Amino acid sequence: MSTQVPADLKYAKSHEWLRVAGDVATVGITDHAQHELTDVVFVELPAVGRKVKAGEACAVVESVKTASDIYAPASGEVIEVNKAVTDDPGLVNGEPYGKGWFFKLKLSDAAEAGALLTPEAYTAQIGG
Amino acid sequence: MPKQIAEMLIESVTMELPDTKTIRLQWPAGYDVDFKTGQFITVYWPDAPAYKRAYSLSSCALDRGFYEITVKRDGKMGTRLVDWAKPGDKLWVIEPTGRFLPVFDPPGKHLVCIAGGSGVTPFRAFAREATRRELDTRLTILYSVRTTNDIIFREEFQQLEQENERFDFYVTCTRLHPDDPWTGRRGRITAEWVKEHVHDLPNTVFYACGTNELVEATERLVLDELKLPKEQMKTEKWG
Repeated sequence: MSTQVPADLKYAKSHEWLRVAGDVATVGITDHAQHELTDVVFVELPAVGRKVKAGEACAVVESVKTASDIYAPASGEVIEVNKAVTDDPGLVNGEPYGKGWFFKLKLSDAAEAGALLTPEAYTAQIGG
Repeated sequence: MPKQIAEMLIESVTMELPDTKTIRLQWPAGYDVDFKTGQFITVYWPDAPAYKRAYSLSSCALDRGFYEITVKRDGKMGTRLVDWAKPGDKLWVIEPTGRFLPVFDPPGKHLVCIAGGSGVTPFRAFAREATRRELDTRLTILYSVRTTNDIIFREEFQQLEQENERFDFYVTCTRLHPDDPWTGRRGRITAEWVKEHVHDLPNTVFYACGTNELVEATERLVLDELKLPKEQMKTEKWG
């Protein structure tokens, strides 16, 4: 099965994606990750205002099979969370790069985002 | 045909480890579904019907009148089940499904079952059925845990080994203190260790149940290194 790896995003080895616009980045999990998880039934998001460091566990996603931590791909402050995805966790499966986003970060170090995996490198990691 | 869904009473609970609980679900009157050892059920609480989790059956198809699942404290459902589920509570249960099935027919196969942590639970069902039916199927479980305190079903597996000379249960511990008196194997499951237990490759079927990492490593061993066809490999990923 082919998985989507959009060309305009950066990726963490732990399967989160990052869409950067200025000093704000939107975070979600990849199509590959949602496929591995299978049906997502619960999402727990960080509190708005929480400061996170790159690599810090800050959210939880639970599927019918397992529960997994979600890690901040970059450091910053959580400025918005996607309430729609906590109300309807299936959005993570249906639109992982769209309505299934998790939270937005005000980045504290733009260089961290630049150091994440390119789409090509992430595709290679997942064996695509 | 739609899957049968039934509300079941929690008949009993057993703490296997401080973070792992076996829950026995009593079939309601008239409930009698056909299912196979190795399948999983999906459960949800009556107050949260949209929030479902699937668990391998740790009981086998010869166990009638109840299902048993063995749950680790993991996520919202795992925490609620381990910390709060008690006899008398009720859960909704979607009937068993899944293709992680032991090859007991044709006879004479050797099933090499590789498990990590709570991934061992379906293999208790395999061992129970093979032993009770006195099958000539050979069954070997290779089980990876962090420490000896993390071994689920240790006593039952040892008892089944006594009853069934064709069943072997091996444990490897990955995070034991060097001074621990454990005399068994230490370290992760390796290709060499698995290969030590394979004596008739064409008649061996490999099973892997646990984390994606463990399952994918086993797939690489069986499909890439041993060059076996996919039909000799069955997997169940639980995260």
